[in-house]
Amino acid sequence: MLASVLLSVAFLTGSGLVLAFLVVFAERRILDYGQCTIDINQGEKRLVVQGGDSLLSSLAQQQIFIPSACGGRGSCAYCKVRVLEGAGAIGPVEAPHLKPAEREAGVRLSCQVKVRGDLRIEVPRHLFSVKRYTGRLVRKRPLTYDILELTIELIEPETIDFVAGQYVQLESEEYKGREPVMRAYSMASPPSDKRRIQLMIRLVPNGICTTWVFEHLKEGQSVHLSGPYGEFRLTDTEAPILFIAGGSGMAPIWSMLRDMEERGIRRQATYFFGALTQRDLFLVEELSEMARRNDWFTFVPALSKEPEESDWKGERGLITDVLRRHMPDTSAHEGYLCGSPGMINACIAVLKEGGMPEEKIYYDKFT
Amino acid sequence: MKQSPIDKDLAKNLGPSKFSAEGFLGNDQRPLDEIIADDMRTLDKMGLSLEQIGRALRAVYEAARNSLGAEEEIRPGVIAVFYEARGRIPSPFRDGTSFEKGEVVVRDLASGQELVLTSLGIALIEKYGFFQGKGSRYRIDPAVAAQVLGLGEGRRRDL
Repeated sequence: MLASVLLSVAFLTGSGLVLAFLVVFAERRILDYGQCTIDINQGEKRLVVQGGDSLLSSLAQQQIFIPSACGGRGSCAYCKVRVLEGAGAIGPVEAPHLKPAEREAGVRLSCQVKVRGDLRIEVPRHLFSVKRYTGRLVRKRPLTYDILELTIELIEPETIDFVAGQYVQLESEEYKGREPVMRAYSMASPPSDKRRIQLMIRLVPNGICTTWVFEHLKEGQSVHLSGPYGEFRLTDTEAPILFIAGGSGMAPIWSMLRDMEERGIRRQATYFFGALTQRDLFLVEELSEMARRNDWFTFVPALSKEPEESDWKGERGLITDVLRRHMPDTSAHEGYLCGSPGMINACIAVLKEGGMPEEKIYYDKFT
Repeated sequence: MKQSPIDKDLAKNLGPSKFSAEGFLGNDQRPLDEIIADDMRTLDKMGLSLEQIGRALRAVYEAARNSLGAEEEIRPGVIAVFYEARGRIPSPFRDGTSFEKGEVVVRDLASGQELVLTSLGIALIEKYGFFQGKGSRYRIDPAVAAQVLGLGEGRRRDL
């Protein structure tokens, strides 16, 4: 009885393997698209790839990493690129993610475009400097009860070039049956430190990646990430700066401030750090010390839910109220905001009330 | 009855995925159409429409979201707090929509009842009548929602 069961299993397994081999063989021989050329940005780069894979995969194999959070399943729509020629028809998975104007412009989900022939595409130039890194977690430090600072030493490649304000995509590992995912985190370290990067990560209830970071990731462990991504950065002007961010939104601001100090950029800058109570504050000593060292920098932490009778001597109230109190006239400033859409929208309204033109407001909305 | 390819895809999307650790069905063993039908019957009994409950939930979500993390009193004894999170999450129904992450926790301080609202969760109710399966953290039980928000036949109110 057992023998016949084992024989049946072996037969079924063997048949399956043979069928799989036949499918792969047929795909390779019959559906062999041969070598295909991908022209990027009107000849800026020309890649020769083996046809048959998705555009996203083909580019990644050539070390051009288009952002993606869903592993190429057409769910996240992060991987949009403009395809000028050679893409084929828009499929049903892709269609819902493309607005009419995007279709008109030739925008496609690169994970859904199969490379079957030569292609001409356009890719934002900053993606050429994106690489996939292997690193080692050298420090995992709690900043508050729900925010961790990770310090990652890069191993391969050994160094990263980025602009303060940019982010990386951290890859989680499988745990408790949860698939690996990629999530974006701004770099908090200054660009001068090319061998190590720091991230600030806030625990999200039931968050796949943050639960992995908080409960499973250990110092000494390897991590994988890609970057740098993003357009959020300081302008090249002399205008005074208003930074506004709370919680893990501090990360790109901290990177910018450290970069400014290191490079001797002495633009007047004020950082409004909003939090609920004292237990939500972090790096207060470091930022206060930076303000003591540099006459161009002012640090304004503000608490909105701190008990009245507490020993807190700093500002109280919602960050919008504190901002309005301190900066009634924002017409000459530039604003740099990082955080949730609600916070950003509320602060933008206050900045505009004070006369700041909308084009001078830069933000990294969490969405 | 054999599942169609579309049903199989939807079933997969409603389970745990790269975007939702727990998925949208919780530990509910009922098929999707039964979950929806049962919740719609509950709404009918309370004299509420999808539009009404969707509007009420959305008003609470927006009010809390705009409070910058501070507690927002929805009505006496009921508070809502927004917890931010980075990124977006696509609809499991693959209709091309995606929503900001972040959640609003609504608590009735007297009864201890709690609802966890997300922008995606509210959209699933408004568009598909899908309140999510029992056991899902983000299930918005229509009866609980009506009680916590003070909605229902003869007590309908626009927040």
